[in-house]
Amino acid sequence: MKYRLDPQPLEWIDRSESMSFDFEGQRFSGFKGDSLTSALLAGGQKLLGRSFKYHRPRSALSLANHDVNALFQSAEATNIRGDVTPVSEGLKLRACNVNGTLANDKDTYIGLLSRFLPVGFYYKAFHKPKKFFPFWERLIREKAGLGEISTQWSAIRQPKQYGFCDLLVIGAGASGMQAALTAADAGADVVLVDENPQIGGSLDYQLVNESDAASARRQLKQRIAEHPGIRVFTGHYACGWYTDHYVPLVGPEGIIKMRAGGVIMATGVMEQPAVFRNNDLPGVMLASGAQRLIARYAVKPGQRAVVLCGNDEGYRAALDMIEAGIEVAAVVDLEWLDKRGHWAEQVKAKGIPVLEQSAIYEAKGKDALKAVVVAPFDGRSCDSGQGKTIRCDLLLMSVGWAPAAQLLYQSGSKLGYDKKLQQILPRELSPGIHACGRLNGAFTLEQRLADGERAAKEAVAQLRGKTVETELTRFRDDRAHSHDWPIIGHPKGKNFVDYDEDLQLKDLINAAKEGFDNIELMKRFSTNGMGPSQGKHANMNGIRVLAEITRKTIDETGSTTARPMFHPVPVSALAGRRFRPERLTPMQAWHTANGAKMMEAGRWLRPEFYGAPAQREQAILQEVQAVRSGLGIIDVSTLGKIEVMGPDAGRLLDVVYTMKMSTIKQGMTRYALMVDDSGVIVDDGIVGRVTDDRFYVSATTSHADAAFRTLSLKIQELGLNVRLVNRTGSLAALNLAGPASRKLLSTLTDVDLSEESFPYLGMREGTLCGYPVRLIRVGFVGELGYEIHMPATAALEIWETLIKAGKPYGIRPFGVEAQRVLRLEKGHIIVGQDTDGLTNPFEANMAWAVPLKSKPWFTGKPSLALLQARCQRRLIGFRLPKGYNGELPKECHLIIENGEMAGRITSIAYSPALGRVIGLAMVDLPLAESASALEVRVDSGAMVTLEPCPTPFYDADGARQTADLTEVA
Amino acid sequence: MPWRLLKFGLKSTHDEPRFFPESKPLKPHYDVVIIGGGGHGMACAYYLAKEHGITDVAVLEQGYIGGGNTGRNTTIVRSNYLTPEGVKFYDTSVKLFEDLADDFDLNIFYSTRGHFTLAHTDSALRTMRWRAEVNKHQGIESEVVGREEIAKEVPYMDLDCNGHAPVMGALYHAPGSVARHDAVAWGYARGAYNRGVEIHQKTRVTAIRTQGDRVVGVETDRGAISCNKVISMVAGSTPRITSMLGLRTPIEIFPLQACVSEPVKPFMDTIVVSGSLHVYVSQSSRGELVMGASVDPSVLHSTRSSFDFVEGLADQMLDLFPFMSRMKVMRQWAGMSDITPDFAPIMGKTPIDGFYLDAGWGTWGFKATPVSGKTMAWTVANDKTHELIEPFRLSRFADFDLVGEKGAASVGH
Amino acid sequence: MKLLDCPVIGKRPISEFDYLGEVRVPPSQADELVWADYVFNRKGAPGVLRERWYHRPTGRWFVFDRDTLTDEIVAVVDAADVRYEEPRYEIPA
Repeated sequence: MKYRLDPQPLEWIDRSESMSFDFEGQRFSGFKGDSLTSALLAGGQKLLGRSFKYHRPRSALSLANHDVNALFQSAEATNIRGDVTPVSEGLKLRACNVNGTLANDKDTYIGLLSRFLPVGFYYKAFHKPKKFFPFWERLIREKAGLGEISTQWSAIRQPKQYGFCDLLVIGAGASGMQAALTAADAGADVVLVDENPQIGGSLDYQLVNESDAASARRQLKQRIAEHPGIRVFTGHYACGWYTDHYVPLVGPEGIIKMRAGGVIMATGVMEQPAVFRNNDLPGVMLASGAQRLIARYAVKPGQRAVVLCGNDEGYRAALDMIEAGIEVAAVVDLEWLDKRGHWAEQVKAKGIPVLEQSAIYEAKGKDALKAVVVAPFDGRSCDSGQGKTIRCDLLLMSVGWAPAAQLLYQSGSKLGYDKKLQQILPRELSPGIHACGRLNGAFTLEQRLADGERAAKEAVAQLRGKTVETELTRFRDDRAHSHDWPIIGHPKGKNFVDYDEDLQLKDLINAAKEGFDNIELMKRFSTNGMGPSQGKHANMNGIRVLAEITRKTIDETGSTTARPMFHPVPVSALAGRRFRPERLTPMQAWHTANGAKMMEAGRWLRPEFYGAPAQREQAILQEVQAVRSGLGIIDVSTLGKIEVMGPDAGRLLDVVYTMKMSTIKQGMTRYALMVDDSGVIVDDGIVGRVTDDRFYVSATTSHADAAFRTLSLKIQELGLNVRLVNRTGSLAALNLAGPASRKLLSTLTDVDLSEESFPYLGMREGTLCGYPVRLIRVGFVGELGYEIHMPATAALEIWETLIKAGKPYGIRPFGVEAQRVLRLEKGHIIVGQDTDGLTNPFEANMAWAVPLKSKPWFTGKPSLALLQARCQRRLIGFRLPKGYNGELPKECHLIIENGEMAGRITSIAYSPALGRVIGLAMVDLPLAESASALEVRVDSGAMVTLEPCPTPFYDADGARQTADLTEVA
Repeated sequence: MPWRLLKFGLKSTHDEPRFFPESKPLKPHYDVVIIGGGGHGMACAYYLAKEHGITDVAVLEQGYIGGGNTGRNTTIVRSNYLTPEGVKFYDTSVKLFEDLADDFDLNIFYSTRGHFTLAHTDSALRTMRWRAEVNKHQGIESEVVGREEIAKEVPYMDLDCNGHAPVMGALYHAPGSVARHDAVAWGYARGAYNRGVEIHQKTRVTAIRTQGDRVVGVETDRGAISCNKVISMVAGSTPRITSMLGLRTPIEIFPLQACVSEPVKPFMDTIVVSGSLHVYVSQSSRGELVMGASVDPSVLHSTRSSFDFVEGLADQMLDLFPFMSRMKVMRQWAGMSDITPDFAPIMGKTPIDGFYLDAGWGTWGFKATPVSGKTMAWTVANDKTHELIEPFRLSRFADFDLVGEKGAASVGH
Repeated sequence: MKLLDCPVIGKRPISEFDYLGEVRVPPSQADELVWADYVFNRKGAPGVLRERWYHRPTGRWFVFDRDTLTDEIVAVVDAADVRYEEPRYEIPA
């Protein structure tokens, strides 16, 4: 570890614990607390990655989670960011996006071809001739993309937490720490979050050697640690700002979804690179990157440095380099030295040569920086003729900052360019949003602390409902910390604006030339800022370049939209634990114990049939036959079950359902059809009258919630005196159907089941097995049958009792599939299967359920009055010849008439009762009424002839719905 | 290397002509004003100029070219719709898409990938069969396929969905494609510009002038224009435009969100959609997974992002692709979808003479870009509704003659 | 996630609510065009919209005036203010 420095005062590494790992087949070791990048640099591995397009050698830049040219992959993960991922024992890593090895990348030739690959080149080639494009596309896709994934990886799901606080302070640098303390002192419940493993921010790397920062640091950290009003989350980044101060904090263990009363943005600034030829060579880094490397990891970034300054901070960095034992060959200042403050004086005092009004014209070196060419700079370009070469292996860029304003933008706050600071600064903050620190233009330590205090005071006052005049600008610096044009042209290019995307200065210029001369179009055409760092080091220079080309101001040029995520967020964290509850009926355990194959019906699980999957058809047939010949029992607990009570109950139901419900006699039920405003069928069920002002309503499984919602909506709309109770969950239900049902039931209930006192469509209350139940004579499956609605707690006992008592009658549980066959034999529709998103009752052959004349109003009535005369299709029954053994049509196969589509089959099944295949089809008019045969096209493409026939197919006069087993026999 | 790239290397200057004009003042009068400089508006301008010789046209764009839903969609092109009219319309679009790169001499990265719409329930499977049958009848390649066939094409998908709502089958649509959405708008814009059409970016329409029931001009934040015809092709801004004329429509605006992952090497060639899980995904030529879900549940005229969208998407995505848990979501965004009650567009003439509407694009606007431009140009040039868009006329609602596309489920990208 | 602030139940995340859309009143004895306008057409344009929302956990409907541009609830409306009598639509014999 030849680049490891002696212990640094605030270093993050724990030298007592070392860890070794493999990188590109070589063994490296680091300390606990090292990042992969710092450990590799400490071990002398400067080459960390290859660039996206040209496969140029790249290394560390920021060590701030912006280093997307140092992406690694392991067997377990990809696109691992070396600059922030901690080392761990035994890791085996290689670089992403290399062809071969990192050291010998076969794709480096692409860099030589760069002149043939101008901005947007892929739009201008590869498409002619058309047939070759797939070949080129494959090649481009192979070259694009960064890391490789393994489709064998198992799912990781990280649990999530919810958090709440009065104030969320994002960024624990000087201003953020101060803001948190001030707000907490004022009694606010504060959360302080920082993406780094420790709080401190730039105090701990940029001002680490400043004696006057030491006491502030010590005090702030100690007070925060002890303050009961502050919760600190380090190692978490705020990935975005969402409506109503909802800010997810992403950490190694998952996401904390923080809901704050207000947010103080103390997110700081991101150092920006200078643009010059070969500004991407390993050894060229951001000054703050080098400072982080030294202060946090005690790693020496180089031996001999040149520092490019566009601000005071560069001089501080130069001093830090000297402190770390690095020779500083020169400081190159874009402006005059006398503009700079006391750090520059100290540098000067140490005898370091300062080249004023100069810039780096180009960097030199093949795989790493060897030297820089410094040339006079007039603020816009270099005089390359007077270039002077300085040997160095480290170049620090300290030319300016861009605000980490992503979340600020997302909050709807307005920002604008400040000429004095040459920085984009907040102008107008959204309600509950506050900004302080360098993000807000406060640069000296005093300014930052004062600004943090100010923001906190304003935030607390606002939380308490006071109107506050913000003093946003009060503690701003009055000097620039950024240069307005740290951009140097070069005829040979390779002066990169976007390291993620390998975009050179000329690429942006040429994009603008081609008409992509507004910031959004330029981004989209050139891809500037579209890479994994989302332009964190490219957007600001991109804006400066475009403004220069178009002769507009920075404000006129604008910026691209800052969308979440701030840093990419793992899907494992976003997904969280799988939470999609299933609803189970009280009989669920019985069903599964008795071989039911369960199916999903919305959130519910229902038995599809009972038996082995291989015996599916046979099992369904037997279930159907059991109902027809003896006794069947089906769990219908999933039906919507609603009590409707009150003086206006009848009026409500008259509005909601097509048929008149207020005239139902007590103890009777009626079919209930619900349509929407446009007359489309949305639900069906039954309505029963319990007492004069009390009804009991059932709805289909999938529409149960919606039916309840519709009923309650109409109560509100019309101001009705009705109360609803949704009993879908508290009541279970079963249907006991078959010729033996009355006989069986009569032995278990006190309800008089005789035909005279409890007729078809009747509803009675009584007890069964000692429990209160409601019995309803229903006919959905076409046999004598009773729906039994009972307390969910009693349901299993009742079910088991019936099963046991039904043994002599050959009772058999049946599932949804058998029920589908049974109802089809009766010609009953299933809403959603025999109807679609536009089917009205006339089309569904249910004109009888639409009393247009006798009812003055029901939902959808005017639509149905209009649609009655415009019916374009109709649901009809059909059958296949007995003994048909050709290819069976399926549901949704098309009816074809004269080569044109004329309808579709909506239901089809073999009917054991009829000994033939029957079905329903939605057929265009007039064909539906006139055809004596219909042709349907089946899977093989063959046509099968259907014979239209009336429905019900089975027991057309309904005799069996009232007949006992004894009577049938 | 294609020879077309050689010219760039052999010259030191970059002599490529502009795609779009530089900003210049508005003229006082145009024959036709197109509101909206997205794909549809540019395509309409292009076909007006190219096929009907109408070049006295101004395209007015409040932002930048392709900056609305053109640049926000997930770039899927397909024609496996449920209704005959839908199939015919989108099939025409697919065929136009296939030739666009040639037409423009611009690579729009039209990439045919194959498109699976998964069915997790038997009712979904029924709808798939319905679509497949309607498609096949009209000569469109669509098939209901079983688990084995899906597994062959997308072997890395967990068809058992981690034990919940397993995949039962799918609708496979071989022509399903993706394209570079921006390039489509740019290609049309360049073609229109080269034929004399004026394109005005950052020009916001503030009012539409009428005399009686006739359009006579528009007012903008850069001055007023008189014109004979106005075509509104503004998708999510449609109600803002129609309300200037007091024209009521069924269109409501709901945000539609999407996101992309960090780029990775290609592993996914097909486009996968699951209606039940409300997700769809494809991998772009850059290596990013482009992912989306269904529209937000409430009306909103905003392109804000929501965290619940990306959480829900990630959760559901892992049912199908467990390995994606180790990928990262890089960016999310939203567009404003103009939704109609029958999930079909509203196109053609309106009760106001000279005012034409191209709207109701919901979640299916990008794939209709070429055919919309072409049929709207024809309709405007002939002042007569093109037969392909007859079923999409605004008056269908007053006639209770809706398009039956609603059956094809709400996530149909 | 957005919060909806309701006078009865306080601030709750929007995911607990179902959205119905703009408050509409069916017209009585409407002719075809008026009826179709009621069924299908909507205000659509950005601005303050009077809407109905349903809060699932409490089973309550609410009427809010919401700015559909900024997503802000401008006012909570008393349901009694938007009540109507069920209309009539008689079919001539």
